[in-house]
Amino acid sequence: MATYNVHVTIENKAGISDPEGETILNDLVLKGTHKTVSKIKTAKMLKFTIKEKDKKTAQSKVQEICDDLRIYNPMVSKVTIDVFDA
Amino acid sequence: MSLEPQELNELKSKIGREPTSTELQIVAAEWSEHCSYKSSKRHLKMLPMKGPLVITEKGYDSGVLDVGDGYVVTAHIESHNHPSAVEPYGGAATGVGGVIRDILSAGTRPIAIFDGLRFGDIEKDQQARWLFKNAVTGIADYGNCLGIPTIGGEVEFDRCYENYALVDVAAVGFGKKENLIKNHAKKGDIVVLMGGSTGRDGIGGSQFASDSLESEDRSAVQIPDPFIEKLIIEAILEARNEKLIHAMKDLGGGGLSCAISETADALEIGIEMDVDKVHTRESDMHPDEIMVSESQERMLIVTSKTKFKKLQEICKKFRIGCSVIGIVKSDNQMHVKKGKKTFANLPTDVVANATLLDLPSKEPAYLKNIEKEKKLKPISDYSKIMMKLLASPNIASKIWVYGQYDHEVGIRTVVKPGRDASVLRLDNGKFLSVKIDGNPKQCYINPREGAIGCFEEACRNVVCTGAKPIGMLDHLQFGNPKDPEIFWTFLESLKGLTDFAKDYKIPCVGGKVSLYNETPDGPIKPTPLIGVIGLIDKTPQIPQIINKDDCLIIVGETKDELGGSEYFEYIHKFIGGKCPTVDFTESKKNMKSVLEIIPKKLLKSVHDCSKGGLAVAVSELSMNNQIGCKVDLNKVPAKKLDADRILFSESHSRYLLTFDKKNLSKVEKILKKNKTSYEIIGKFGGEKIQFSKGTKSIIDLRVDKAQKTWLNSLKDLVLHG
Repeated sequence: MATYNVHVTIENKAGISDPEGETILNDLVLKGTHKTVSKIKTAKMLKFTIKEKDKKTAQSKVQEICDDLRIYNPMVSKVTIDVFDA
Repeated sequence: MSLEPQELNELKSKIGREPTSTELQIVAAEWSEHCSYKSSKRHLKMLPMKGPLVITEKGYDSGVLDVGDGYVVTAHIESHNHPSAVEPYGGAATGVGGVIRDILSAGTRPIAIFDGLRFGDIEKDQQARWLFKNAVTGIADYGNCLGIPTIGGEVEFDRCYENYALVDVAAVGFGKKENLIKNHAKKGDIVVLMGGSTGRDGIGGSQFASDSLESEDRSAVQIPDPFIEKLIIEAILEARNEKLIHAMKDLGGGGLSCAISETADALEIGIEMDVDKVHTRESDMHPDEIMVSESQERMLIVTSKTKFKKLQEICKKFRIGCSVIGIVKSDNQMHVKKGKKTFANLPTDVVANATLLDLPSKEPAYLKNIEKEKKLKPISDYSKIMMKLLASPNIASKIWVYGQYDHEVGIRTVVKPGRDASVLRLDNGKFLSVKIDGNPKQCYINPREGAIGCFEEACRNVVCTGAKPIGMLDHLQFGNPKDPEIFWTFLESLKGLTDFAKDYKIPCVGGKVSLYNETPDGPIKPTPLIGVIGLIDKTPQIPQIINKDDCLIIVGETKDELGGSEYFEYIHKFIGGKCPTVDFTESKKNMKSVLEIIPKKLLKSVHDCSKGGLAVAVSELSMNNQIGCKVDLNKVPAKKLDADRILFSESHSRYLLTFDKKNLSKVEKILKKNKTSYEIIGKFGGEKIQFSKGTKSIIDLRVDKAQKTWLNSLKDLVLHG
């Protein structure tokens, strides 16, 4: 068994609006002098620390937890899972 | 795409050619059940819609009532069932947004939100719990961000909503009569789209709402943005004050397709528009997508070229998008272009008026034996049953829900949620009371009497505040109308509501029909929801603390009507029996008496008996005031019924009056004068809720214990399962 850090990023699917990101872009960033920024998207990240036999199992276990507990809504959100050695 | 083959043929013969793909999209959206009311419209005409206070104007999305002194109140109700079943947070929130824009489009400021929520059995079903929790949060987040109080509603759970959600939202607006938008337009006026950008969200939503919900076929997700909505409200009201708006419509189901065609049809004009002018979120959107996108927080405004400059300045000030997308013509055509190329060119009356259907109906087979009662298991300990009922999700206090809503923002709220109906202060010194009520359990057993019951209950609730009902909103939610048995239940409910409205002279000022509410396990129970708007000229009944030795009177008769009651369904798990019916004469007499007593300031509180019957209604009074109460069931006007029937029957037209005993003779005098059926059934004091039958004790509960269970059980259920 090894320890892994698993990062779960939850963001709105492409094409679904992201009012929070748009507000940060328009009302904070573009009001300064950062005219090179064209888009900001918000996301939520969960960082799991998990003991599993390998990276692949760590990833699938976390995926399973998120699905079972409805941590995100598959209708709305896109989920990316990244695994790192702890 | 849901144009049926015969509808496609009809479209072809009406326009005399093959429709383009954009035309097909536009017509499919507008001819969907959601937008066209094709199954129901023919029948909805039976409802009385006129009255001395009703103001009608072409193209209004909400009902308008004159409340005197130059002021008007507007009201509307909508549902967002399908989107909420898929994404409860966003679906419920955008539902609030939609109904608020309907209020706004008449030129009035939204001042209150109400919501009726229905889900599956949350005690057993985790999905129902998830839907409930998120729908409530969605409504709270959206309403609270807008600064509009959510002051009432109801929550109910029933197995028929398994894997589904009914999210109904009503809103009330207030404004000056002279500021109402008089929808009109003339050739050369310009058409402006204002608010959020158009994206791919919610594409095909209205068709989605007109199809049954298959487990995987769940597209159409809408993302709420309350901050844009708030800016739209302020910008529109400023534009209204500057008289910049000729006509206005909110973009809801069907998006631009419906807004353009319905505006043009209502005002008898033509509109030529260019999809390239619409401000979009993504650059590569096809004209078809732009026309049917249901992106939220958008309004369509017709104004003149000279006024547009000022409108643009207002939009700039509030930093909201505003594009001129078209021009008013006199040809009664809806002409959609992209640059110079035509994508659709249709007569507006063809688009906006789907052929109405005359669907067959047949009495459902299940109704034949439904009134027959099964033999109930005898109850040995009524105190235990009472505690079980107080903890049940349908009866337990909904404080976990309304505690999340800001119900005081705007400082109009005089009576807060958690009582019978909330009360709002108006600028002309009068008060407004509004309540929404539904009862699918009773409507399932008897669609006609059940619907009438909902109407009477909503009236009763506003009467409890001292308000006279002046208008009604109906929201009729049923399963697939093509099933003759379901359509029969729709017609029966509608006929019942019509009879009641005509008899009580309460006009229907707005409504909505939502059909195809089906889950994988079948149709929902018939769920008509009725909103009643009441007006108080001078004195609202504000509940006062009940003290020791205060008297309790029941007005109205308790009958053997336990069909659809919580006692039958929750305790005995039995669906059936005779559901309560309203005796119009008795009901009106009781209302009249209560409304006559309230302004005399003799009462401490007026409470109606509904879910859970007399036992629950009396317990609520005790728990809210933290004082015991002794009631003798032998004194309750009822024709020789057993104790459980008197306790738990949900008969209509009953009111509980509490008052200082020194006022007894004055209260009785009015009741006697009106020949009202009433009785003094008990008095307050001590620390226990006690029901007896003569000398025999039936229920004996400590108030503090009962209160703890009643207040906390719903929250515990949602948060800890």
